[in-house]
Amino acid sequence: MRGVTPAVVFFASAALAPLVVRDAFFLDSIVLILLWGTTAAAWNVAGGYAGQISLGHSAFFGLGAYGAAILGTRWEISPWIGLVAGAGVATAIGLVIGYLSNRLRGPYFVLATIAFSQVLLIGSSRWRAFTAGSEGIPVPFRPGFWTLGLVDKRVWVWIMLGFALLAYLIALYLERARRGYQLAAVREDEDAALSLGVPARRLKVVAICVSAALTAACGALWTQYVGFVDPIYVFSIDLSIRFALAAVVGGLGTALGPFLGAALVTTVETYLRAEFGGIGGRFVGSYLIVYGCALIVIVRWMPQGVVGWIGERWPRRAAVRTAP
Amino acid sequence: MSLLSVAGVTKRFGGIVANRGISFDVAPGELVGIIGPNGAGKSTLFEIVTGFYRPDEGEVRLDGLRLTGLSPDTVCRRGIARTFQKLRPFQGLTVLDNVMVGALTRTRDVRHARERARELVGKVGLADKAESHARTLSTGQRKRLELARALATEPRVLLLDEVTGGVDQRTIPELVRLVRDLNGGGLTLLVIEHNMRVITAVAQRIIALHLGEVIADGPPDAVARDRRVVEAYLGQAYVR
Repeated sequence: MRGVTPAVVFFASAALAPLVVRDAFFLDSIVLILLWGTTAAAWNVAGGYAGQISLGHSAFFGLGAYGAAILGTRWEISPWIGLVAGAGVATAIGLVIGYLSNRLRGPYFVLATIAFSQVLLIGSSRWRAFTAGSEGIPVPFRPGFWTLGLVDKRVWVWIMLGFALLAYLIALYLERARRGYQLAAVREDEDAALSLGVPARRLKVVAICVSAALTAACGALWTQYVGFVDPIYVFSIDLSIRFALAAVVGGLGTALGPFLGAALVTTVETYLRAEFGGIGGRFVGSYLIVYGCALIVIVRWMPQGVVGWIGERWPRRAAVRTAP
Repeated sequence: MSLLSVAGVTKRFGGIVANRGISFDVAPGELVGIIGPNGAGKSTLFEIVTGFYRPDEGEVRLDGLRLTGLSPDTVCRRGIARTFQKLRPFQGLTVLDNVMVGALTRTRDVRHARERARELVGKVGLADKAESHARTLSTGQRKRLELARALATEPRVLLLDEVTGGVDQRTIPELVRLVRDLNGGGLTLLVIEHNMRVITAVAQRIIALHLGEVIADGPPDAVARDRRVVEAYLGQAYVR
């Protein structure tokens, strides 16, 4: 149980909250925190643990989202199968991006990932016959668990919690297992890792593929949850940054960090939007300025993220292998 | 019987020939020093033996098996470990975790790797630094860390690039003793070293490189007196 107590508390409260609270807004917040937390944790596998910073992860999210939406609307195939199909395609694309990561390092890799998501954005906007273009696809509501037509938000909380736990367990594995140590070595210095017998290239590709598949799964769930998908949102750089941001704010290369980061970012965003962004208000959109400032403050005073910040003040609890 | 054999290795970078037809054999248990002025091709040779560079001609064999063409991580698993001239510890990891990465190449068991790493960290005299981040270490300590990390991969041949470079005078004897102990324990070593006093003291044999070619190969005192070696290091005026 060493080191996992905070995570047990976090996930247990998320699991039990729906039994206590019935407020739809509150439950919606939990679903979103778990969803964005899982995407951030998925991003963290590649960006935090393997050190492969991607700002094109929305590509994978979008593939999952479109996978579920297109299979569902065209052939009435279950979104669960769409989720698996999207994750499969994302894994294949992850192989390509992983291969790129062995050719391009640092900023060049980042640019390549952005380009990738932009290609998908343009492709899905233009290929109207298949993707319905920039108008997007409304996902019809078909009641049932198999079709993910669920009115009860509590069920959504528990479904998202399952995926969140999966992402958390992957991260925990990376902190404790042989492959995790090797991946940390690759992140710190790839050539030195190679010289010690670490199969650096293969490990990077696997990390990127796992990250891609999990991100795609989140995309599929998100589509079913909100009932709509359009290219401008799901393939946007904004979305990619959201994944990275929650992981950075929470703590790069830590297991619980991305979830705490997502909780913080999502809460601050929701609060500010309600406070400053009301329709008819004089300063619509000004919440984004406050939001930006809040992020600057967080990154300035907690450069190691929330987990690192707590770890410094509570050194026994969080023995964390943080990225520099 | 040779353990490591380098045969006719040539490496060109554009118009520059960094290594030209280099050949030599290293017997098991031998400690061979490699000397030569800057740009002689010593480091290039190391990169080729460890699989980071591919030679244009020639090949490297370990115990008769061809290494040339294999990736650096495979070369390491075959039994060749190295340190870097420009030190490259995993800065964000602790000393123990650094060494564990090496140990995990030989065992899948994390706990076993940790024990093995702790042993080696003690052996190189960093026991009290085991839990410190590598970025907090001095140059001398980093050298020892790289040594422990490389040893953790259980090499059959260990390549050391500049054992004493950039280290203050007082810690040199310690490092020299460490290298000598390793060799005394039966490990085969190939050592690049600029400090002639150090290398003539530890090596049983020295290979001198100049402009990418082997210009001398033999016992330390003979190589140190060799006309071409003195010329390469000091210039024609000093040759008596």
